[in-house]
Amino acid sequence: MGDLVSDIQNLFSVQGDFFIGKEVKDKTAIYIMGFSTLIDLPKSNLYVRQIAAASSSVKELFTNLSDKLDTDINQLKKAILDGKLVIISEGGKHNAIVDPVSRNLTRSVTEPQSESPLQGPIDAFVEDIDINIGLIRKRLTSERLCHCSYEVGDLGSRKVSMLYVKGSVPEDLIKKVDQQIKQIDADIETVDDFNRVFGRRRFNLVSHFFQTELPNQATHSLRTNRIVLFLDNYPYALVFPHLLWDMFSPSIDRDFPSLVAYGLRALRVFGVIVNVLLPALYVAIISINPEVLKIDLALFVSESRQGIPFPALLETIIMVGLVDLILEAIVRLPKSVGPTITMVGGIILGQAMVEAKLVSTLLVIVTTAIVISGSVVSGIPNSLYIRLLRYPILIIAAIYGILGVFAGFLFIIVYLASLTSNGIPYTAFRMNRKEDAK
Amino acid sequence: MSRKWQIGFVFIIMYLSLNHLMYPKLIYGLTEAGHWEVVVCQGLLQITLIGIYIKGLSYFPQQDVIDIYSKMGKLVAFILLIPFALSLTALIGLDIRIHTEAINLFFLKRTPYWSVLVLLFFITTYTAMNGLSTILRSSTFIFFMILPLLLFIICSSFMNFDWHNVRPLWHPSLDFLLNKNFFHLMGYSAFLPLGFMTYKTKLTFGFIFLEWVFVMIIFLSFTYIPLLIFGEESVVTLSFPMMEAMNSVDIKWVMFNQQTIFLGLSLIGFTIIKNSVLLWIIGRIMQKVLKWKRAKASYWITASSVIAFILALIVPSRSWTETFFLWCSGVLVYFMMIIPISILIYGYVLNRGRVHYEES
Repeated sequence: MGDLVSDIQNLFSVQGDFFIGKEVKDKTAIYIMGFSTLIDLPKSNLYVRQIAAASSSVKELFTNLSDKLDTDINQLKKAILDGKLVIISEGGKHNAIVDPVSRNLTRSVTEPQSESPLQGPIDAFVEDIDINIGLIRKRLTSERLCHCSYEVGDLGSRKVSMLYVKGSVPEDLIKKVDQQIKQIDADIETVDDFNRVFGRRRFNLVSHFFQTELPNQATHSLRTNRIVLFLDNYPYALVFPHLLWDMFSPSIDRDFPSLVAYGLRALRVFGVIVNVLLPALYVAIISINPEVLKIDLALFVSESRQGIPFPALLETIIMVGLVDLILEAIVRLPKSVGPTITMVGGIILGQAMVEAKLVSTLLVIVTTAIVISGSVVSGIPNSLYIRLLRYPILIIAAIYGILGVFAGFLFIIVYLASLTSNGIPYTAFRMNRKEDAK
Repeated sequence: MSRKWQIGFVFIIMYLSLNHLMYPKLIYGLTEAGHWEVVVCQGLLQITLIGIYIKGLSYFPQQDVIDIYSKMGKLVAFILLIPFALSLTALIGLDIRIHTEAINLFFLKRTPYWSVLVLLFFITTYTAMNGLSTILRSSTFIFFMILPLLLFIICSSFMNFDWHNVRPLWHPSLDFLLNKNFFHLMGYSAFLPLGFMTYKTKLTFGFIFLEWVFVMIIFLSFTYIPLLIFGEESVVTLSFPMMEAMNSVDIKWVMFNQQTIFLGLSLIGFTIIKNSVLLWIIGRIMQKVLKWKRAKASYWITASSVIAFILALIVPSRSWTETFFLWCSGVLVYFMMIIPISILIYGYVLNRGRVHYEES
C-alpha cells in the first residue's frame, strides 16, 4: 500500500497531462491526482482546500470528500481515466475518488443539424449520453420507461444505453438485444460496428437502426413499441428495429391534420419511386423501347437527343454521377463555399452541358426531378441508400429496356423484403405489441 | 399484414400468372358458345378439390403436405413427391420460356431470348432462396403494385368492345366436360402450394372461397375481353389472345403507345412470384424427403433452377413450348387430383382411429 502513489505515478508516467499535487493536512501529506485535460484544476483544488479547512482530521476530510473510499489500484486507475480526482494520503493509508469540477467538454442542447423539424420542437440530441436520456425522460415521464446501461469495448470502454417502454416491446426481443449488447467484445467505434452486433451482413445497404437527432422522434418510436439505443459521444438516437415505413412517416407529420399527413407520405413514396425509376426509364425508353411511347412523344424525345455523342446510358450515368458528386461536395465543404459550388454546378449542369450538346434537355429535367425527389425521405442514411439503388436498375434497364426497369424494381422489393433484424422484417409496417410483425 | 392475407395474395397471384397466356386459348378450343359455362364448371371442379384439400389439411395442424406424406411412409412420400417436384421443375422452365416468348414478341424484339431467360431465372431463384417469408412479403407489395395496372387494362379495354360478340350466350350441351382439354385446363390452377405454405397458418375454406371468387371474376374477364374485342371467329387464330387484345387498345391521353406494356409487366411480376413459390416448394420437398444432410434447401433450389433453365433454353420453338406445357400441365392434373383426395382419406382414417382409441 505504501507505494500506491508511486505505482499510479509510474502507470501514468508517459501521460503529459497527468498531474500530481501535494497538500498537507494535520502534518500528513495528501496527494491529489488526475488528468488536467479532464479536470478544472484550480477550482477542484480550491474545493478540496475548503473541505480540508472544514474538516478536523484527515479521515474526516476523506469522508467529507467522497463516499468511494479505500478502493484498490484498478479502480483508482479507472477513475483517473474517467476524469475523476483521486486523493491518496501519505503512506497509502486512505484513498478517495472525488467527483471534481470537470472541464466543460460537451456542448449544450442546440438545434438539430441534419433534420429540420418544421413546426415542431427544435432541440436535438448532443454527444453526452446522460443529457440525451434526460431529454427523453423529460418527455416520457412514465415509470414504464426502462433504461439499461452497458459499458462495452476493449481499448476504450464506451457507454451504451438501451431504452424501452416496458410492456410494449416484446419481452423476448428485449432479452435478445440485451444479450447481443452484452456479448460485444470488440471496440464500438462507429455505428456500423454497432450494426454488426445485430447480425449485419457485410454488403447490406440498410442499417438495423433508424437514426434520429430529434428527441420527439425518439419518444414517438418508444411509444410505438421500439427500442431506442444511445451511444456515448454520438448525437443520434438509434431506433431499433428500423422499418421501411420510418423514412416516409417522421413523427413531425403528426402535428398536421391527418389528411395532410397522408398526403405528405404519399408524396414521399412517389418521390422515392421517381428517384429510383426515372433515370432507368429514360435510358430504357431512349435506347431499347422507343416504340412504347406515342409517336409524337417519341419524336420529341429523339429530337431532344439530336447531335449528342454519348449513348443514353453513358449520358445518364454522367449526369446522375455529377449530381451525386455535387451533393457529396456540398456536405463536405464549409457553408461559405457550398453555395458557390451549387451555383457553378447548376450553371454547368443546367445550361453549359445542354448548349455543348453533351446531354439532352430532357435529361436535365430528369436529373432535376431526381435531385429533388432524392431528399424527400427522412434520415440521411435512407436517402443515401435510395440514391445508390438507382445505379443497378440503370444498368439493367440499359440491357433489357422497360422489362429491365420493372425486373430491377422487383429485385429491390424482394431484397428489401428479405431483410430482417432479430426476426422483425424491414418491410413490416409497424411493430405489434404481442408478437413480432410478420 | 397477417400471414393469412399474404397467402391469399400469393394464391391470387399464382392463379393470375398461370392464366394470362394460355387459358383463354384453351377455353376457345373447347366451345364455340357460352364460354362462361366452361369457366364456371372449371371453377366448380377446382373449388371442390380445394374444399377437399383444406378439409384434409385441417386434420393435420402445423404440418405441411411433406410431413403428412412422410407420416404415411417414406416410400409413399418418395413415390409421390419426387415426381411432383420434377414436374414442377419442368413447369417452371416451360412457364418462364413461354413468358419469354411473349415478352420477345411484344416488347423486346431484338433481344435474344436466352438473355431474358437469364434475367427471369436469376430473380426467381434469388427470391426462392430467400425463403417463404420473403416471398410472401414481397408478393404483397407486388400485388398492390400490379393490381391497379391490371384493373386499368381491363377497364381500358372496354372501349373496344363489340357487345354483339358475346352471343350466343348459352351452349345447350355440356359435352366439353368429357373433352380431355377440359381437364388440361385444371393444370392451370395453383391451389396445391397452399398445402406447403400453410403449416404455420390455418386457412379457412371461407377465406379461400373469397379469394376464389376474385380469381373467377378475373378469369371471366380474361376469357371475354379478347372475345368481345375480336369475335369468336378471329380469336381462335391468335397465339396470345389477351396480349393481342390489349395491343388493340389505344387511349389518347396515355403517353404509352401500347397497353400491352402494362400487361406484360404485370405478367413478369406475377410469374416471378409464382415460380419462386414453386422453386421453394421443390427445395423443401427435396430437403425433407431425401434428407441429405449436406444439401441445404438453397442448393436444391439452385439445382432445379439450373435444370429448368436448361429445359427452357433447349425447347426449339414456340409450338413445342406450348405442346410441352400442355403435357406438363396434364401431369400436374394427376397430382391435383391425388394429393387432396389422398390427404383427406388419410386424415379421415387416422382421425377416426384416434377417436375409437380414445373412446375405448
